[in-house]
Amino acid sequence: MLLPLLVVAGIAVGLPLVYAFYLSLTDFSLTQQGVAQIVGADNYIASLTNEGLWGAIGTTFTYVIIAVSFETVIGLLIALSLQKQKWARDITRAMLLAPMFITPIAVGLTFRFLLNDQLGAIPYLLKSLGTNYDFLGSGKALFTLAMIDVWQWTPFMVLLLLAGLESIPKQPLEAARVDGANAVYIFRRITLPLLTPILSVAVLLRSLDALKVFEYVYATTRGGPGTETETIQYFTYQTGIQFFRLGEASSMAFILLLIVLPLIVFLFRRIDRRTSS
Amino acid sequence: MRAQGMMRGVRGIFLITALVVVGFPLVWVTLASFKTPAQLNDPSLIMFSPSLTNWAYVVEEGILQAAGRSALVAFITVAISAIAGSAAAYVISSYKAGGTATRFGILAAQVLPPAVLVFPFLTLAYVTQVNDTLIPLIFAHLSFVLPVVTWFLIGFFDSVPRSLEEQARVDGFSRFKAFLLVVLPQVYPGLGAAIIFGFTLSWNDMFYGLILTPTKSAILPVAIAGFNTFRGVELGSMSAAILVAVIPVLIASFFIQKRLVQGISGGAVKY
Amino acid sequence: MGTVSLRGVHKAYGSTTIVEHLDLDFPDGTFTVLVGPSGCGKSTTLRMIAGLEPVTSGTITINEADVTPLEPKDRNVAMVFQNYALYPHLSVAENIAFPLRATKTPKAEARKRAQEIAESLGLGQLTSRKPKELSGGQQQRVAIGRAIIREPAVFLFDEPLSNLDAKLRVETRSELLAIQKRLGVTSIYVTHDQEEAMTLSDRMVVMRDGKIAQVGTPAEVYGKPHSVFVATFVGSPKMNIMPGTLDGTTFHADLGVAWPLAHKDKGAVLVGIRPEDLNVGLDPQGPATITQIELLGPRAVVALEVAGTKLISVIESGPLAALSIGDRVNIAFDPNAAHLFDATTEERR
Repeated sequence: MLLPLLVVAGIAVGLPLVYAFYLSLTDFSLTQQGVAQIVGADNYIASLTNEGLWGAIGTTFTYVIIAVSFETVIGLLIALSLQKQKWARDITRAMLLAPMFITPIAVGLTFRFLLNDQLGAIPYLLKSLGTNYDFLGSGKALFTLAMIDVWQWTPFMVLLLLAGLESIPKQPLEAARVDGANAVYIFRRITLPLLTPILSVAVLLRSLDALKVFEYVYATTRGGPGTETETIQYFTYQTGIQFFRLGEASSMAFILLLIVLPLIVFLFRRIDRRTSS
Repeated sequence: MRAQGMMRGVRGIFLITALVVVGFPLVWVTLASFKTPAQLNDPSLIMFSPSLTNWAYVVEEGILQAAGRSALVAFITVAISAIAGSAAAYVISSYKAGGTATRFGILAAQVLPPAVLVFPFLTLAYVTQVNDTLIPLIFAHLSFVLPVVTWFLIGFFDSVPRSLEEQARVDGFSRFKAFLLVVLPQVYPGLGAAIIFGFTLSWNDMFYGLILTPTKSAILPVAIAGFNTFRGVELGSMSAAILVAVIPVLIASFFIQKRLVQGISGGAVKY
Repeated sequence: MGTVSLRGVHKAYGSTTIVEHLDLDFPDGTFTVLVGPSGCGKSTTLRMIAGLEPVTSGTITINEADVTPLEPKDRNVAMVFQNYALYPHLSVAENIAFPLRATKTPKAEARKRAQEIAESLGLGQLTSRKPKELSGGQQQRVAIGRAIIREPAVFLFDEPLSNLDAKLRVETRSELLAIQKRLGVTSIYVTHDQEEAMTLSDRMVVMRDGKIAQVGTPAEVYGKPHSVFVATFVGSPKMNIMPGTLDGTTFHADLGVAWPLAHKDKGAVLVGIRPEDLNVGLDPQGPATITQIELLGPRAVVALEVAGTKLISVIESGPLAALSIGDRVNIAFDPNAAHLFDATTEERR
């Protein structure tokens, strides 16, 4: 009964993966004539020495760290609030979770115009308060994109953290309250440690997903100002699609895969341990 | 006790703020979709007489066909994923079939950066001359929807007691019949959520769509991006296009939220 | 007809043996109980008979036919699990009728038979309910109804009463026995509760560490246990076991008391006395002291201490009136009621 999955996955994932590796060893280019030649490790060397790639890696990691940190903290606060909420529970939750279901390009484009100097509502509000903020300008663009990520994906953290909170057994908490502990102490010493397993799974899942950021960049800055918002996926896209250098782009993708692999292994270990216990 | 009342007030304000932050962009887009270009130039305009020109325009420009193509791709992808995925999830859950390697592979395939697989899909599409059609796109979508759906379902099959299947086998059914008649019905709610979730993932993809099917058979997210032309943005029509993509999914999402967590965490969190 | 035979049935995982080369017969129409402590292999044996667990070696025959390679569905057995395993998505009637779907019985007939069985079990009014709406006792009866409908060769029960509270357990026990007697189907029942085993079985199979410790009627197993293990496992409160020596006429217990006991053997021995065979009498010079008295209505359990060793006696509540905690008593028993066990092998002498 495992067979259908293996067959489909083999065609949809296995085959392309192997072929991608093969591509990364060639000088395949969409524009060239003739057959692609195997150039061995040339692409990898070119990629590893490509400043742009390392810049993109740095940019992406900065983005992920900022976005996921905000999402975790804000998500936790929202989850804690939702847990204790009594009125209009389901509808509030449904509304707060909505952003994560919207196609990311739509979110990116929406914010592009919400933040647009002439047409957007937010700069308008800021101006009426007397300030000005160039959201997509130099030094600020990456942070703005991270905030867009926060808008869309904090609900994801809320979803998982809320479930984690609701699965914490009540007795230790009640015992602590009877013993006279205050809310902050209970949170720090009991809630948080019990929440850590699901918290780490959520952070890892979200980080792996945030690394793939593309649509927000495509919708707003196209990598700019300069190369400030060139994320890995965007950079690879440019190399492969705009510059047609598919072989080189493939090698970049594999380098990314190697960087990401330890995270995946780590995540797997955490989830597997929970389900088998 | 007064501290509790204050906490409740703080919580309330916090949640209301969150709701406003979430709702604001959506409301703004909705308003924009009904504004004429002239009205759009004034960001402060809230009360205005709505016009349907944007909506008519996006329909004319083929937004519904794009939506239809998105739906078709999503439907096929999810159908294949549901069938292969539920069978696999069942044996992985009950018999640990495929071992650690399979489970790891499923997780890895979900979180794999699309940049890795998109180029082979592109070249293979060119080679077999199906580029810019929906066919490579279906395969590409399968590469992440199938693992997600399978992963999702493993969590649900985990909560079905083994004795149910054993009882059915003793009652006179083969293992497969026992799965079909007794075990699978127990996960119908989870299966429904997995299908809706998988559909959403496919519906929302732009990366594969942009690269594999850029023009002729563009899917919805790509079409939306198309309103972001170098002419400047046709903000009103873009807003309408966005709503076409967003509304169906938002409605569907209301139905699955309860089951979502059990699925996403692969069973790590039980609901 | 439903005879079951196990020949050399062996189950092992790698180097761990769960069930060791079992030879066992289950005559037609009998109610056999497999009883023993956790981990003794009784459930595994039952599951192998059902076909849910493959045998490592040996053969299982049902009605003289070798079923060892067969899937559960081809063995014509019915099983009731500890948690009843009712199908949550089906109604009571559909649950009971479910096995008939496998035999392609026409729907109308299946429904009719399910209704008849439901009514015979007192579930007639509940046929359209779902399992989660039923009480534990009712759920259990649905599970039994589902087992009955196939008219199988053998009923298999895997601790079906463990989920019920004590009172319900006793009631359901007698109902189950009545059903089995009425239908005359060979039944194999697994439990860890020796009292359940004693009340239900025509034959008891006491198991330990994957091996059979003793097979016999409840009277045989209780009255003539083959080993210290069986002697102390069956019967509550547990049999008193006293190490000591025999010299032909007397038993000298290690705890310092001697009793007349004529036996041809001499040397080290273990003597077992059931609490109800151990008599106590007030005696200020007596060797034993009463440490506890538990009144159980018509009887009382009296705990004694002799030179640091604990003994238990069960006496009628009449004589109890004269006794209180702290009293010194003498202890005596009828030598014919003594069970002798070899000091090293712990088996019956």
